[in-house]
Amino acid sequence: MISELDVIVIGSGHAGVEAAWAAARLGRSVGLCTLSRETVAHMPCNPAVGGTAKGHLVREIDALGGLMGRAIDATGIQFKLLNRSRGPAVWSPRAQADKPRYAAWVRAELESEPNIHWIIGRAGRIVLDAGRVAGLALEDGTVYRCRALVITTGTFLNGLVHVGREQRPAGRADEPPSRDLAQSIKSLGVRWGRLKTGTPPRLARKSIDFAGGVKSGVFHVEHGDLKPVSFSFTSTMSPENTAVCHLLHTTDRVHQLVRANISASPLYNGQIAGIGPRYCPSLEDKVMRFPDRERHQIYLEPEGLDVEEIYVNGFSMSLPAETQRELVRALPGLESAEMLRPGYAVEYDFVQPTELRSSLEMHRVPGLFFAGQINGTSGYEEAAGQGLLAGINASQSVSGRPALVLGRNEAYLGIMVDDLVTKGCLEPYRMFTSRAEYRLLLRTDNADLRLTPKGRDLGLVGHERWERFAGRQARYELNVERLRRSWVRVEGGARVTAAQALRRPELTLAGMMADGDVAIDTSEQDHLLDVSSVETTLKYEGYLLRQQQAVTRAQHAERRKIPETFPFERVPGLSREMVQRFAEARPETLGQAQRIPGVTPAAVAVVGAYLNRF
Amino acid sequence: MFSTSDTIVAIATPAGRGGLGVIRISGPDAARVAGALVGRATPFKARHATFARIEVASGVSGTGDHVVVTFFPSPSSYTGEDVTEISAHGSPVVLSSILRRAIDAGARLAEPGEFTLRAFLNGKIDLIQAEAVADLIDAVTPRQARVAFDQLEGTLTAAIGRIESDLFDVIAKLEASLDFPDEGYHFVGAAEARVALASVIDRIEALLAHSARGRLVREGAQVAIVGAPNVGKSSLFNALLNANRAIVTALAGTTRDLLTERAEIGGLSLALIDTAGVRETADVIEQEGVSRTRATLRVADLVLVVLDRSRAITAEDRDLLAETALQPRVVVLNKSDLPGVITEAGVAISARTGAGLDDLIAAIANELAAEVSGPRDQPAVSNVRHTVLLERARAALLCATEALAAEVSEEFPLLDLQDAGQALQEITGRRTSDDLLHHIFAKFCIGK
Ligand SMILES: Cc1cc2nc3c(=O)[nH]c(=O)nc-3n(C[C@H](O)[C@H](O)[C@H](O)COP(=O)(O)OP(=O)(O)OC[C@H]3O[C@@H](n4cnc5c(N)ncnc54)[C@H](O)[C@@H]3O)c2cc1C
Ligand SMILES: Nc1nc2c(ncn2[C@@H]2O[C@H](COP(=O)(O)OP(=O)(O)O)[C@@H](O)[C@H]2O)c(=O)[nH]1
Repeated sequence: MISELDVIVIGSGHAGVEAAWAAARLGRSVGLCTLSRETVAHMPCNPAVGGTAKGHLVREIDALGGLMGRAIDATGIQFKLLNRSRGPAVWSPRAQADKPRYAAWVRAELESEPNIHWIIGRAGRIVLDAGRVAGLALEDGTVYRCRALVITTGTFLNGLVHVGREQRPAGRADEPPSRDLAQSIKSLGVRWGRLKTGTPPRLARKSIDFAGGVKSGVFHVEHGDLKPVSFSFTSTMSPENTAVCHLLHTTDRVHQLVRANISASPLYNGQIAGIGPRYCPSLEDKVMRFPDRERHQIYLEPEGLDVEEIYVNGFSMSLPAETQRELVRALPGLESAEMLRPGYAVEYDFVQPTELRSSLEMHRVPGLFFAGQINGTSGYEEAAGQGLLAGINASQSVSGRPALVLGRNEAYLGIMVDDLVTKGCLEPYRMFTSRAEYRLLLRTDNADLRLTPKGRDLGLVGHERWERFAGRQARYELNVERLRRSWVRVEGGARVTAAQALRRPELTLAGMMADGDVAIDTSEQDHLLDVSSVETTLKYEGYLLRQQQAVTRAQHAERRKIPETFPFERVPGLSREMVQRFAEARPETLGQAQRIPGVTPAAVAVVGAYLNRF
Repeated sequence: MFSTSDTIVAIATPAGRGGLGVIRISGPDAARVAGALVGRATPFKARHATFARIEVASGVSGTGDHVVVTFFPSPSSYTGEDVTEISAHGSPVVLSSILRRAIDAGARLAEPGEFTLRAFLNGKIDLIQAEAVADLIDAVTPRQARVAFDQLEGTLTAAIGRIESDLFDVIAKLEASLDFPDEGYHFVGAAEARVALASVIDRIEALLAHSARGRLVREGAQVAIVGAPNVGKSSLFNALLNANRAIVTALAGTTRDLLTERAEIGGLSLALIDTAGVRETADVIEQEGVSRTRATLRVADLVLVVLDRSRAITAEDRDLLAETALQPRVVVLNKSDLPGVITEAGVAISARTGAGLDDLIAAIANELAAEVSGPRDQPAVSNVRHTVLLERARAALLCATEALAAEVSEEFPLLDLQDAGQALQEITGRRTSDDLLHHIFAKFCIGK
């Protein structure tokens, strides 16, 4: 085992695996430090990847050369494109995952990567030398030297699991928390906070009469798409749906039971102080905060094809196990269901991400990177996206190259990082399309056009992917030009260019091609993508142009850099409050300065003015 | 935060009546915008005074004004950018309408302190002045504070705030439909959204129509003449109009109707309103007149409170003075041709002989100038600014309504709605995507 590494990644959750993979592929020697090989790429909560905005993140991760898209394509068991009835900018792929297969696929990928060295053990202390990262000490005392360290320990820092009044220190379900590491991070003087998340109970598959539930009308079968769409731009065939989910609804009896037992819920008896995600409310919250709502949706989702556990989506709670069992059995169709594991809530420490730069490196400690839930986010995709960026940037820092920072106009990944480092987290951060001010430009169909060239420049995009992409990009450009110059006759007899005709809501490119009005160049593998990105570009050209112009207007501020050492306290005319806000968020550009909560436009203008003279 | 690469315009001279007023245009399009204003296609000669005629916007009796245009090419200008300066007569109304036309020609109304900021950024002024820039920008706040004092403006801002928050609600629901497609919630349908937007548009239109600010610029200021019976209101009205419209009578309480007349006085366009005597009375017809007077008091941009200086001040006079204390007004001491007994401060005139009328006109112009404008390089901002922003919001809302009617997906009308929201928020304060999510989560139970 070598004890001198370029990069060490602590944690092998969704953030850690992307980080390790990226740094290794970029040629760094990587130490992947994790508690166990058995929990690599584990999904502690819902068995699904993607969804609105999250599906965008996965496509972007894939376009840059990350793992997640390929992993879910290979192991997903049911695929759906959300928002299909809406415009292409908000189409989002989502898939049910086969949890053990997903984890095994990722682990195999990492194990086949020669630059990754596994360090199985419990990380305990960050080793510094003259203020910068020099290595990692395990709790057992072993020391590894490294030049960059990426911490992705998720919910483990001082994790505390709650089930009813029972509390026990744990990172998640039955894994011990990380205390030494938490102590070591806090000793750096960073700002941190406490958040909470939760998961529902799991049921025994064989104890549920699915057919009976469907027959009596209490379950509704949810199928995948007829033509499933894959996540990865490298996929060669469309994935298959091999599983179904079942939809049911809570009843008044369920709600009454929750109310009757509410004092036993750690969320409502003061036992939990951490703030939970409001977009993923616990059953307790649903019932107590929205008493007018008569029923709530519950999905029964398989955790995998050969897995006995059924995930009860929408039923997350931390009531006592006995109450949970009662509640499950109060659900229509689940009267005799057997509960394998109760749901629980976990509280954990996170690092305020305003401590980080846009590269995810900590302002105060060069060489120290953070990614994933430890930064206050929630969700596999959010974690994976940050992991990928942190892995890339750890590698860049080791090789003395500039960090990859994506703009808010370039990627959801860029929006996520920018939001985190400028605003920090008050509650678990999740991606939404409404966070994107240039939403129409950031589509799943053009994630490769936006990002694959960047991945290639970094060295993360291999030959095969690049060849395929280059062809697809060339076709795209050619096709757009061609449709601008070919003429068609539209209803009423007028002759217009195909590009103009496409602006009519009733016309589609596929339809025009089928009618023999126009032809474009497509490849067999990428036919759908070829058609849809050309069509979108032309159909929504006016809107896209407007967004482009908005980007251009904002560029000025985005490009004005604020040096790391900029003395906000010396800027004349800034109030002490403004100085403090700037000093905490350490904006890197004038654009970021504008987005810091509570900062006034006047204060930003003054900084801008002073910046020129600095 | 504003961009520093576009072309900006503002009135550069301090507020005030008469004399010269200067409109300054700075940025890459400075020459083109000025050319468009005076209808000139050939380039201006650098640093040369060019005489031109400018058509002032409609409502200012269709007449033009003579102006002098001077072009200062970059970098030898106040801001270091291309700058054109248009000197015109200092009437706020004339200046405002030139400003308005410059905006129509593509310039953007400068933010407070923006010229100075640009000058600073381009190295035209010294580092020490950074502080001055901060001051200048902070001047937004006192001026906004003035809003509370200024009743009309206060209600306008509050009204916009309410409109904006209704719009925000529609935006939030449409956004929720996109971000939470499988919640089993129907957040808002296109038809429902359109109904909500129609009400938003109506209210913006009403504001545009009634906003004293917009009217002040388009139609001139509303100046109400109030006072106890027989102090000489009608006589003053006529003196100002130089016409015999109102019946001048010595009988108390005969001027029952509100008489409105347009006048160009001291370069200002005014709508003069003669009111019935403000007096507690049992007479029904007269009562109606009185309540109308009170309504007029509320909407007038400026009130002339007329006192008869030849008789002792009455309780009625005092009430009137108290009632108008918080709004822009000029106290007029009439009948200066008679021996005076009043010690009240005010402008002494004689409606009968015409003595002091010039002073009165100057005082009116001064008050209105303060109303139309703010300090430093920002005169006329609040009103034209609001009007421009409201118009921008309305245009965007109409686009969104059309898109919704065509049943295109939410993200497209949302683009317009966000533009509209932004325009309104420039008046009422910013909102972020986090506010949006808070709003959604507060209203709906979302998530599995
Ligand atoms: C109970 C629960 C419920 C959740 N519910 C949801 C939900 O409903 N929706 C949602 O979007 N997200 C949910 N999440 C969040 C989602 O699972 C995470 O955001 C995501 O998995 C985080 O990935 P990560 O890589 O940052 O961390 P994790 O996946 O937590 O990985 C942490 C890794 O660090 C390792 N580690 C920890 N300490 C040490 C140490 N000292 N030394 C070495 N290795 C260490 C662990 O072994 C593990 O591999 C939930 C998480 C939990 C635990
Ligand atoms: N001496 C003198 N009399 C005036 C003057 N202005 C008005 N009056 C007289 O005062 C009386 C009331 O005038 P009027 O304009 O009808 O007053 P109103 O009731 O306030 O509108 C009339 O007899 C006018 O002639 C003035 O400046 N000097």
